[in-house]
Amino acid sequence: MKKRIISLILTLGMVMGMTAYAGAEEADTEFVGTITLGMIGPMTGSLAVYGTHVSNGVLMAIDEINAAGGVVLSDGAYELAVTSKDDQGDATECLNSMNALIADGIELVIGSATSGCTSSITSTANSEGVVLITPSGTADALTTEMDYVFRACFKDSFQGELAAQYAADEGYTKVGIVYCSADTYSAGLRDSFSAACEELGIEIVAEESVATMTEVDYTNQFNKMVSAEAELVFVPFYYDVTGPYLVPQARSVGFDGVLLGADGVDNTETTISEGTDLSVFNDFLFVNHYSTELATSDVSVSFVENYEATYGETPNNFDALGYDCVLILKQAMESCGASDAESVQAALADTSVVYEVATGTFSFDETGTPVKTGVLMGYEYNEGDEEVTKIAVRTLTVE
Amino acid sequence: MKKNSIGKRYLANFIATAAFFVITLAVCSNGGSRMKLSIVPSIWQCCYLIIMAASLNLVLGFLGQLSLGHCGFMAVGAYSAALISLAFERAGVYEEKSGAAFMLVLLLSIVAAGVFAAVLGLLVGIPALRLKGDYLAIITLGFGMIIVNVINNIPFCGQQGLGQGAASSALYATGLGFSNDEKVKYLWVALLTVVICLTLMFMFVRSKYGRAIRSIRDNEIASSSSGVNVSYYKVLTFSVSAFFAGVTGALYACSNAALATTSFAFTNGSILNSVFIVVMVVVGGMGSLTGSVIAAVVMFFLNYTIKNGAWVSALPSFLQNVFTYPMLVYSIALIIVIMFRPKGIMGSREFALCDIPKWKGWISRYFSSHKVGKEEKA
Amino acid sequence: MVTFIQFLITGLRLGSVYALIALGYTMVYGIIKLINFAHGDFIMVGAYSLFFLIPVLIGLGMPGWVAVVPACIICACVGMLVELIAYRPVRKKGNKLTSLITAIAMSFVLENLAQAIPMIGPDPKIPRTLFGNTRMIGGVSISDATILTIVVSAIIMVALYFFTQKSRIGRAMRCVSEDKEAAILMGVNVNHTIIITFGIGAGLAAVAALMYIAQYPKVFTTMGATLGIYAFVAAVLGGIGSLPGAMLGGLLIGIVQSGTNAYISSSMSDTFVYLLLIAVLLIRPAGILGKNVGEKV
Repeated sequence: MKKRIISLILTLGMVMGMTAYAGAEEADTEFVGTITLGMIGPMTGSLAVYGTHVSNGVLMAIDEINAAGGVVLSDGAYELAVTSKDDQGDATECLNSMNALIADGIELVIGSATSGCTSSITSTANSEGVVLITPSGTADALTTEMDYVFRACFKDSFQGELAAQYAADEGYTKVGIVYCSADTYSAGLRDSFSAACEELGIEIVAEESVATMTEVDYTNQFNKMVSAEAELVFVPFYYDVTGPYLVPQARSVGFDGVLLGADGVDNTETTISEGTDLSVFNDFLFVNHYSTELATSDVSVSFVENYEATYGETPNNFDALGYDCVLILKQAMESCGASDAESVQAALADTSVVYEVATGTFSFDETGTPVKTGVLMGYEYNEGDEEVTKIAVRTLTVE
Repeated sequence: MKKNSIGKRYLANFIATAAFFVITLAVCSNGGSRMKLSIVPSIWQCCYLIIMAASLNLVLGFLGQLSLGHCGFMAVGAYSAALISLAFERAGVYEEKSGAAFMLVLLLSIVAAGVFAAVLGLLVGIPALRLKGDYLAIITLGFGMIIVNVINNIPFCGQQGLGQGAASSALYATGLGFSNDEKVKYLWVALLTVVICLTLMFMFVRSKYGRAIRSIRDNEIASSSSGVNVSYYKVLTFSVSAFFAGVTGALYACSNAALATTSFAFTNGSILNSVFIVVMVVVGGMGSLTGSVIAAVVMFFLNYTIKNGAWVSALPSFLQNVFTYPMLVYSIALIIVIMFRPKGIMGSREFALCDIPKWKGWISRYFSSHKVGKEEKA
Repeated sequence: MVTFIQFLITGLRLGSVYALIALGYTMVYGIIKLINFAHGDFIMVGAYSLFFLIPVLIGLGMPGWVAVVPACIICACVGMLVELIAYRPVRKKGNKLTSLITAIAMSFVLENLAQAIPMIGPDPKIPRTLFGNTRMIGGVSISDATILTIVVSAIIMVALYFFTQKSRIGRAMRCVSEDKEAAILMGVNVNHTIIITFGIGAGLAAVAALMYIAQYPKVFTTMGATLGIYAFVAAVLGGIGSLPGAMLGGLLIGIVQSGTNAYISSSMSDTFVYLLLIAVLLIRPAGILGKNVGEKV
């Protein structure tokens, strides 16, 4: 018994020692009140990287807004605050978090990071009358029929169309797809890309998938792309896969065509293993929301600068989209002068309002999805300074 | 005399269950918004966790075979219930989730979910005839993985369902998917399902089948030489257990607006996965159905309160940091429970109302036996 | 033909890593008959140790792979600590299943603890590439790391085999695995032996981590979960407790995965791996090289 207790204390002590770090800080107050936003995302677990980045963006936006005088409603300036809930990447936990936020009287919720989780809370948001804005739930079905649900990101079909349009513009006739069938983001993009290709008369010569988004080996898939003689391969994956695995492996089996990704690919430059042959990243392009180079808006530029100053790393799309969610909500609240769900919903549903945020300048369409312009970006290897740099190629529009 | 006391026990249990049923329904349907938002959804989740744990207990506790893919059956149940009801909804049998037509569809979905899962359980039962222990465990794990992998790749079960859209790990449209208000309205469905399933499982383990199964667990060779058809009973138990897991899946489909295969994986972020169902059975006590019920509720409550409990914010800040990692706290709590109560909460004993008067004796005996143990050591 | 050779090489590349992990798995299982779910997470611990140690050692002017030595020590310590504070107290009191649950819980503890440490966090870390790059030989690409992994696993397998057969501790291990009570009577310190086994098994995880990140350079906190399951499957497929079996099982699984990708359906590789496992176990219930021990009546 004694030994068991000792080992218990040891374990607990270890855990506490390792997790104990600085708490929250206080802000100065000249506000008439506080508006609390809810935030749901996978803060721990295997999808934690998405949730924590969204949260970084949200927190930064809130700090900036509070420092700049808060949200000005009809009866004065309000301070913004956030209650964050962890859904651990699971649909049921996500629903529990949503209900807990609603029970706490929160009417504006940002979440969740993945389409799978978000789809479990959209109907609740709608039936309970709570505004839900998802930073990165891209599945088309999320916002259709749901008045109270909005998103800050592209929807799958739009991004897939942009990518297909690019392939058509450049005159590619034989394209291939490597995607993940078990992931809603990847599979959704694949669906819209192949549909758009069919419409544009581009032949899909090979289509291969992997079982999970954490798959490590893509050589067989690209081997098939090579033997099918694909000139361009569409790769809807995230940057944590493309940098270390996908691109070097694709080149290693002799695929030398264009690799075209979507917004998840942004930030690949941060995940390249030191010592890899960097020339493999030439001809690696992706569709994105914004580019600091093309300066789609001043907000993008200042966002990237501030983020780097605050967190000491380059922001990724999740950071930017989390940031945007807060900005969008702020603008909607200020335009209607209230912070209750009903008025904010009405303000957001107005399709004529233009939002100028970090991921571009856009207005919502009638389903609550931003009408954005895409930017085609790519990677380029500079032999001189031994670096892979991100370049903006051009803006993309669907014809 | 003895028969009389058994009768009394049944009566007491029946009255207690009925009373609990009525009180829960009455309280829940008249509660405020907090009741609707947190308590009723929690009860729904407890309901499916209870049946899940109890049904696995049939295989793990009574038959003595470790199964690591139980959530696979639940996935089959959930998808069949969701798709069957969706088919009826699309066919225009019901529009609102109310009325006689809907009730029939609901009943059909629940039963069909169970049947589909049971058929698969039959398939899993067959390897169980040849393999034991960890070898069987990994085969069941494999089955669970295969089910999830296959669902991911069938266009019929993806996107908008019934072939609308490509294969996907998420099913955005289901015919069930209750909202919070409907969860309150149909709470009786969940409770009634739990009561019926538990009653059936009790009847099963108390019957001659149950005795045969337990004899296989205790000694397979001895039981087969005394005329127990081991193969038959093994496959039967796997199917029965899978049936209830399928029913659970239907309840899950009711309580979630959309389905994602990640929810039924071997492990994932939540406590509903094959691994944690095994944990519930062991924590509750193998071979004790009431133990599984208690464990499921306790473990759900633990998980829920770690994340949403108001008391967490009252903790000192370094502890709060620990609590932002719910799975960390949860696993440590689990290790503690297992260290101090390795046989589980109930052991192989069942909870019975009539035993409550005897508790005092048991508790004092427990403590005195520990004291004796210590003195002996010294 | 090129496709065929390429798929074989990819299979070996995956399989060699599984084999290396399965060796550690099977050692621990052989002795205490415990499916050590936390074994995959020892790989994670090893990978993070390597990630932090490699730049330090390179800074000191040594080759990067030397980092595997301190990483082995860290992993072995973590492994022994886990055995000491979690597995041993539970094993004393409970049965096989309670040990299994402790292992599951320990796996979650390690994963979440890693995430909770600010230095690690949920963001994936990308270690530098070791052992050069891939090369093309006659239209087929093969990386130095793949060859090295196979060689290293073979060496370790042989070394472990001789260690368990010839050395004093090795004999004690086999003795404990066969009959714990008899081992005690023969004067074998069982606890001592088990903790050494955990040390070796976890230490091997660091070697596996090195070979893994040399081929797949990404380190994240939940990386052990999938790897652990595949290694477990490999160990069972080859016959759990058998060292050559673990190696064979690992390579076989890698090749099946790769073959499914190349010739059947690339998203269904999991299904085929498990179907193979089910088929093998139904024909040989103790795995390919496992001994089918008759039941005592």
